[in-house]
Amino acid sequence: MARALIGIYLAAARSFDQRLTRHLAGTTALIFLMVALFSPLSDCLAEASGGAETSQPKKILMLFSEARDLPGNAMMEQAVRAEMLKGGTNQIEFFAENLDAGRFSDAGQYVVFKDFLERKYAGKNLDLVMVFMARDFGLVGELTATVVSNLPVVFVAINELELPAELTRRRVAGIVQHFDVEGTIKLIFHLQPATRRLVVIGGVSKTDRLTLARIEAVDHLLDNIAFEYWTNRPIAEVRRAVAALPEDTVVLLSTVQRDVSGQQFYTSQVGQMLAASASAPIYVLSAGLIGSGALGGVVVDFDSLGTGAGRLALRALEEHPARSNAIEVRKTGTPMFDWRALQRWGLKQNRLPANATIRYRPRSLWEEHRSLILSALLILLAQAITIAGLLAQRTHRRKAEAEIQIQRMELAHVTRVSTVGQLAAALTHELNQPLGAILRNAEAAEMFLQHDRPDLVEIRAILADIRKDDQRAGEVIERMRTLLKRRNLESKPLDLREVVMDTVDTLQHDALARRVKLTPEIPAQLPAVRGDRVHLQQVLLNLILNGMDAMKACPKDERRLVVRVREAKPGEIEVSVSDGGTGIKPEDAARVFESFFTTKPEGMGMGLAISRTIIEAHGGKIRGENNPGRGATFTFTLPANEK
Amino acid sequence: MSPPTVTQSPSGTVFIVDDDASFLKSVSRLLRAAGYPVQTFGSAKSFLERPAQEVPGCVVADLQMPGLNGLELQAALERTANPLPVIFMTGQGDIPTTVHAMRKGAEDFLTKLAPKEDLFAAVERALRRNFKEGQQRRRRHELHGAFDALSAREREVLGHVVRGRMNKEIAADLNINLRTVKLHRTNLTRKLKVQSVAELTRLAEEAGVFRAAPLQP
Repeated sequence: MARALIGIYLAAARSFDQRLTRHLAGTTALIFLMVALFSPLSDCLAEASGGAETSQPKKILMLFSEARDLPGNAMMEQAVRAEMLKGGTNQIEFFAENLDAGRFSDAGQYVVFKDFLERKYAGKNLDLVMVFMARDFGLVGELTATVVSNLPVVFVAINELELPAELTRRRVAGIVQHFDVEGTIKLIFHLQPATRRLVVIGGVSKTDRLTLARIEAVDHLLDNIAFEYWTNRPIAEVRRAVAALPEDTVVLLSTVQRDVSGQQFYTSQVGQMLAASASAPIYVLSAGLIGSGALGGVVVDFDSLGTGAGRLALRALEEHPARSNAIEVRKTGTPMFDWRALQRWGLKQNRLPANATIRYRPRSLWEEHRSLILSALLILLAQAITIAGLLAQRTHRRKAEAEIQIQRMELAHVTRVSTVGQLAAALTHELNQPLGAILRNAEAAEMFLQHDRPDLVEIRAILADIRKDDQRAGEVIERMRTLLKRRNLESKPLDLREVVMDTVDTLQHDALARRVKLTPEIPAQLPAVRGDRVHLQQVLLNLILNGMDAMKACPKDERRLVVRVREAKPGEIEVSVSDGGTGIKPEDAARVFESFFTTKPEGMGMGLAISRTIIEAHGGKIRGENNPGRGATFTFTLPANEK
Repeated sequence: MSPPTVTQSPSGTVFIVDDDASFLKSVSRLLRAAGYPVQTFGSAKSFLERPAQEVPGCVVADLQMPGLNGLELQAALERTANPLPVIFMTGQGDIPTTVHAMRKGAEDFLTKLAPKEDLFAAVERALRRNFKEGQQRRRRHELHGAFDALSAREREVLGHVVRGRMNKEIAADLNINLRTVKLHRTNLTRKLKVQSVAELTRLAEEAGVFRAAPLQP
């Protein structure tokens, strides 16, 4: 589990790094990452889209009465395509043409256009015609009578004229959308209650006049707002005029296809020109103008219209022949605002209607880089888990190490006790020596006191000797007690001479009993070492006892054991114990320091193992090798105490 | 407890041998306090090389010493003209060592913490034994002198006599006449100052002459 997490973390972190260096905001690498992470899922998707139908595609002709690139038309076309291709089908083929009637308004244009269409689409076998218009239903009528005589028609009309009677008899479905001037005016009042004057800017084309008529129809609804129509001023002039509007004034931009000076416009162009200099917010009626600099309004929502038209078209294709006259009339618009303009005019969003759409709001960091943030968080999480895991592992290991250390110390203690146990006879002897002397001295003193003239000089000497022997006995006991005490490793500066001599003293009687000549060779000048006296003594005890054991079978006068201390090189003290015994068998050489390895019948096999542990804990090394002649030498090194 | 008086026991020096100077001093003090003449030695070697080897007495020795240990000291002592009895003292005695020492003729085996009465008793016994063995050695020495004074023929005759043979048989065996045998016998009893054949036999045994040795025909 942890390993898998670390793997994910590493892969993600690596990819994250690359991405950062290449392109911080880009999500390409992230997509790769996600694909890599969820490759089974992406495989499924690929399969699902692979199984496509292969029947003849439906052919749809989209006709625009005005310029196809007007923002509203572009929006609608995109929405229709999106809606109709939503299912992922590629079975629809779109064609699009526009009449651009706003700019080519003479009747002859219809004829040319009709002729053009008839010729162009003669052999195409169209399945459906969609008509998007801003003006009147004439186009539908004209076209459906000839070019697409028996085809179903879906239309969208942005006006509020009566539907021609012939349309209702044909296979026609459509949406009629009214400009929601009333909604917009109410919105102005709600949003900016201080407004007293409303300047209406519009064009003079046929379509422009139709739109203005809608505004004029409701300009009396609000008593305290005065409507002012600037339709007879050229846009260039209007542009200058809007720069000086007072605070209580707002602008309502109608449609401007052509101004009084005869100049042709796109309304969105006009919106842009005015918004740049206007000293008052500009309200609009069409979603196509949101983004030109206008503040907003209750607008014609072309996305929604396109979606609705697309839906109607799909139905018309399915229900062949389509049910006629599915005509929907939409009188209300959608409240829509430009976030940037809201900021510019200092209008609070909380005053907007709840269903208001706000465009051009800069996406928050979260929206902009959501997947990046998510992946970063994922990486952080994986990292945190990994770190937590490693920390837990470390704690665990520390604990285990501490336990091992304690166990080692306990084991060292046990083996020390067992070593001291081996020395019991020698130690008893050593202790009985001073005790015997004390007893004999005391008895002698008693007897001297019974003499007629006690020799006080003698008795005084006896008492002094008793005290001396008592001290000697105490030292022996203290030495044993120290060795038997349970203790942890402590590091202190030590005189190695003292340590060695103390050990040799402890073992001297044992050596005597075994007829071993035990000789320490220690130079007069020796740097101090750092370590634990008792533990180092334990090592020496082990090595010396082993050496003496190895010489059991030797002739008495060859039982020599030398403990040599020297400064092997600067900063390193070497202690070696050489015996003349049986030596190390070649097959045992590799194992002598292993736990429970022993060559003695009663051996526990811990002596050298513990010795090695102790020496290594001191930062030293221990080794054993055979002498050139006979016997073996065990050597350990200790770092000198740095001052 | 009153110290044993020297007058009651045979005189002799107590030689103390121990490598532990402190113990050596304390034991020597105790024995001096008890009235014994004492000599101390720090090692078996220095003791064996002491002057006046013939001085009677006994040895109190530590069993474990560097160089020659107690048992080796005892063995070396046995080979001298004056094999003094040895009392061993040890810090810690083990049974095999004790048995070995006793078998080799150790007078006693004491731990260093044994009651002083045991030590004194052991010293007394050892001195008495040394005295007795000294007497025996002297007597044997005298006898050897006496026997050495006999002629070869006299010794031959003595050999037959102690085996209980009649004069006539001896004469026949040695191919000498009966009177000559009688003359030799008279000389034997005179030289060895004995009254009877029985006494003669006992002396011969005591001196270790002809002991169990079969006569050659």
